[in-house]
Amino acid sequence: MSKKNNRTYEGDSDIKVENPDMIICRCEEITLKEIIQAVSDGATTINQVKRRTRAGMGLCQGRSCGRLVRKLLAERTGKKVSEILPGTVRPPVRPMPLDIMASLEEE
Amino acid sequence: MANSDVVVIGGGIVGSCCAYYLAKAGLKVKLVERGSICTESSKACQGHLFLWELPEINVKLGRESKKLYHQLAEELDIDIELRDTGSMSVAENPAGLNTLKTTIDELHKYGVKCELLDAKEFIKREPNISPQIVGGGYFPEDGQLNPLLTTIAIAMAAQKMGVEILTNTEVVGIELSKDKSSVKAIITSRGKIETSTVVNAAGAWSGLIGEMVGVNIPVIPRKGNLLVVGNVPDNFINCKIILASGYLDSLKGDKKVAVAANVQQTSDGSLLLGSSREFAGFDKAVNPEVISQIAKRCIKFFPALAGMQTIRSWAGLRPYSPDMLPIISDSAVKGFYVASGHEGVGITMGPITGKLITQIIMKQKTDLPVEQLNVSRFAKKK
Repeated sequence: MSKKNNRTYEGDSDIKVENPDMIICRCEEITLKEIIQAVSDGATTINQVKRRTRAGMGLCQGRSCGRLVRKLLAERTGKKVSEILPGTVRPPVRPMPLDIMASLEEE
Repeated sequence: MANSDVVVIGGGIVGSCCAYYLAKAGLKVKLVERGSICTESSKACQGHLFLWELPEINVKLGRESKKLYHQLAEELDIDIELRDTGSMSVAENPAGLNTLKTTIDELHKYGVKCELLDAKEFIKREPNISPQIVGGGYFPEDGQLNPLLTTIAIAMAAQKMGVEILTNTEVVGIELSKDKSSVKAIITSRGKIETSTVVNAAGAWSGLIGEMVGVNIPVIPRKGNLLVVGNVPDNFINCKIILASGYLDSLKGDKKVAVAANVQQTSDGSLLLGSSREFAGFDKAVNPEVISQIAKRCIKFFPALAGMQTIRSWAGLRPYSPDMLPIISDSAVKGFYVASGHEGVGITMGPITGKLITQIIMKQKTDLPVEQLNVSRFAKKK
């Protein structure tokens, strides 16, 4: 599988994040500055950053920002990227219309 | 580890509030938490400040607690998204409306502001509701906040006042005096802490902590499933919180699974759909059948929800108390205090619980009578 298509790829992202106003989570419009604040308030995992900032709570459920947040956490806590646990994934994983959810029990 | 005046067990809303008010009273406090702050029930809920749960003592606790939230919102460093939204309850049939009327009549006796609405008035206020409804009730005193930010902000404020927060620290035992009458220390996965006072705020797990000292706390986990719908138009719900009239029935512990319809629009616009109450031990897995029933019930009340996108579902464990009252009390073991059993109103009652526990520990007059909330009501008869 190419790196581009591997959603669980753990390698370092080569994107440079330096501008504090840069949007990290596009769905919820959360900036680098806000992520850094959450980390300095004590967040050490992707889930903890999410609870404080909403990064990863939107439509894509962290599929876009997860890797960047993980990289930032690794940098700021002095750990390897692979040591930072990914965020929790929950059903339905991808957006699903509510009426489809409502029909699940009949199958 | 160094000693401490008080050790609070549990870093959810109740434990964080206990630590906050104890520190405010000048005590040296440690808070021990198995995971991190806000990792269980407090992060799995909707954030509704529910001020009309019967009996009367619950109404009083909720009312005092909301006042404290308004004070906290001024003091805390983080915006906890506290809003005086009010809430509405909707009836789908005449029987439901009748139940609601009885509830409202009783609430009026306790001074709760609330009113019965006919279908026309309800639909006027909430144009997205199904035209099939027969009426409902309006509860202007209810409110809403962000439970994640609130719990974290209160814990951070407690820390600022000197509370030492020990995360990833599990309580494995409690050391008592030789005659087993008083607390001497707690044993954690990271060492022993000498203390004469422990507050058990371990929520759904508080019964297990009670066993360590021989105090019977019949609190058991009661699972709740929620789902979130994203990309919702602003003001999809004007009032922000709408419960189906069967909600109060779903609180009773007589069934293994009870599903209600409970739709709330949060400050960021998303809809949180609930709710369910299920006895399934400590299993936190989402129950697909229950999720499906919640979706169906909510679509029944809000037909426009059908095509909207569900983005996530999850479940958490509420601390169920068999008599529907929380436990806020001392115990037969000197120095062992209990703040648990809030089930669905832990967020609502967090601050008042912290304040009352502090007053009980400091032997001060309590803001509300607490006799009814004493854990001794569950003591095994010898």
